Amino acid sequence: MRRMWTGSARSVVAVVVVLGVALLPGGAVQSQEKKPIVIAIPVGLSGVNSVVAPAVVQSAELAADEINAKGGVLGRKIQLIPLDDESGPAGAVKAFNTAIRQQKADAIITMETSAARNAGAPIADKANTLFIYTSFYEGKACGKNLYINAWVPEQVVPPLIKHMTDDKKVKKWFAVGSDYAFGRGMIESAKATIKSVGGTLVGEEYQPLQQSDWTAIISKIRAANPDGIIYSTSGGGPNIDFMKQFKAAGLKMPVGSLSIDELTAEAGGNAAEGVYYTGDYFTGLDNPENKAFLEAMKKKFGANLKTPNSLSEPQYDGVHAYALAIEKAGGTETDKVAKVLPSIVFKGPRGNVQMNKQHHAPLPVYLAQVQADGKTKVLKSFGLVDPGNQCPKLK
Amino acid sequence: MFTTQLLDVVTTAGVLYVVALGLLIVYGVLKIINLAHGAFLAMGAYAGVVTTRAGWNPWTALLLAFVVGVAVAAVVEWRVLRGLYARPLDTILATWGLNIIVVQAITLYFGREIHFAQSAIERAVDVGGVTYSAYRLVLLLVAVVLGVAVALVLHRTQMGIVARAVIMNEELAQALGINTRLVRFVTFGLGAGLAALAGALLTPLISVHPYLGVPWLINAFMLVLVAGVSLANLALAAVLLGGAQVLVSSYGNPVLGSLTIVILSVVILRFRTITI
Repeated sequence: MRRMWTGSARSVVAVVVVLGVALLPGGAVQSQEKKPIVIAIPVGLSGVNSVVAPAVVQSAELAADEINAKGGVLGRKIQLIPLDDESGPAGAVKAFNTAIRQQKADAIITMETSAARNAGAPIADKANTLFIYTSFYEGKACGKNLYINAWVPEQVVPPLIKHMTDDKKVKKWFAVGSDYAFGRGMIESAKATIKSVGGTLVGEEYQPLQQSDWTAIISKIRAANPDGIIYSTSGGGPNIDFMKQFKAAGLKMPVGSLSIDELTAEAGGNAAEGVYYTGDYFTGLDNPENKAFLEAMKKKFGANLKTPNSLSEPQYDGVHAYALAIEKAGGTETDKVAKVLPSIVFKGPRGNVQMNKQHHAPLPVYLAQVQADGKTKVLKSFGLVDPGNQCPKLK
Repeated sequence: MFTTQLLDVVTTAGVLYVVALGLLIVYGVLKIINLAHGAFLAMGAYAGVVTTRAGWNPWTALLLAFVVGVAVAAVVEWRVLRGLYARPLDTILATWGLNIIVVQAITLYFGREIHFAQSAIERAVDVGGVTYSAYRLVLLLVAVVLGVAVALVLHRTQMGIVARAVIMNEELAQALGINTRLVRFVTFGLGAGLAALAGALLTPLISVHPYLGVPWLINAFMLVLVAGVSLANLALAAVLLGGAQVLVSSYGNPVLGSLTIVILSVVILRFRTITI
């Protein structure tokens, strides 16, 4: 017994020594490595945004990988912390507090619903944390530390209306929207442009969000006999509901959409064929940055890749722009980074993006059309389009 | 404009009738409101997605939807509902639970995003000088055919007579030796099968996603409450309430229109003096 005990004690000592030797250098490296730069991503992992949220997180992951592969920023690695904002204000408050208080995030970079953004932004402001918002939205969200790198209605609505006026000779318009803030806001913007280009509005109808039968509105369109339609439903399904019923009714006038996106159009098959829409990002953009971006996404995520889209791609630009700003500012201190951020130009898949206009970005805007198989074809570029006066009190 | 509105009214009534029929049959015989009706609608719509992916003729989706609806309902009736008939409130809980399970199962397999189902008919046809959706007219025809078929089953077959006996007085029917358990089993299966069939029939009009049944369930529920257990009343309710919805949406706006069915149903239920 005694001998055996001695033997096992000896081997325990040996194991401890071996482990200690093995761990020592590792421990030393650990203490030398600098603290990572923490970017929190409060995003709708559950709720209405859960369809697009995984693509947003993937965009950020690729950007972080690219930055870290080059040794990080100022020798520090980028660390991402995705949090669920439940697609709404209550979840956003929790997620922003977790990000700032527990995770000690250096910045918040995310795409989320307007309600969630409005709830989260004051929390970021109070804690003096930088907040880069990467979703297109209704416009006029302003804050000292709030920067936005995606489109506002002033950037995508006028080009679409003007194109349909010039190329499709649309003079008499019928406007259709889903009955909620974003839908109505987009239609207001469209009406202003229609008026400014000398068009007339022969009808304007709103459909409740839950209602998927568009029969009455389609009959009103037929009765009003407009030259063209401009519509803005809520995202996803309602676009297809409307277009399916519009087509089945035998209506043939040109349609411009302020709410369709590539994924929805494709999921709708031939339902949205012919629909015109504008945006700052399409997977079909023919430039080297976009091709490299799509290639890298495919390589990194393989079968799990969520197709990049106009709601997810700006997240990639946002993380890169933030990293460049830290490099230029020489640290992560919010005031310093915010000061240099408007001077940062990141050339990404959309083209050159710089948040230099009242915390918003002039953006390259493109015209696209849905094809017979549901795929989107980019028809032309409108060049850089200015966001206009979003926050007159900010520089 | 008149022709268009007439067509809108009758086709809307047809759609509502098709959607509510399965719910009415279950309510009539089992005396329970099947809150999983919306989930069966969604299940039927996904039958359209499956047939599209397999490259089959879009019409086969109807058969697939009906068969899957009946099969799922048979298992649920057998394992879950059968034990709950003595406790009507618990059947509400059970069918609502079933609704959540089916919708989540669909979400797990297909995801939350919308899916494509090929439409059998996409053309528009000329009716009295108005270009109108051919598919809505077909749906109206389907509603009439389904209504007549169910009426024939109820009034001309042994099974129908038994079912009507259970509807009128279940205890007496049981005392006469009618196997009410079998009647319930068959009825629930048929009702759910019709709901799934309705879901498949809706896909040419709407996009396919897990929650597509929700708005339709509410309207179907109201129609059944107003109609009671009569097929003729259901047709009448579909024309009246659907018609009111179309007219209010046309002369007022669709936001008011969407409230019409609910408000009118409440008013009718309050002032209806004869029991039907």
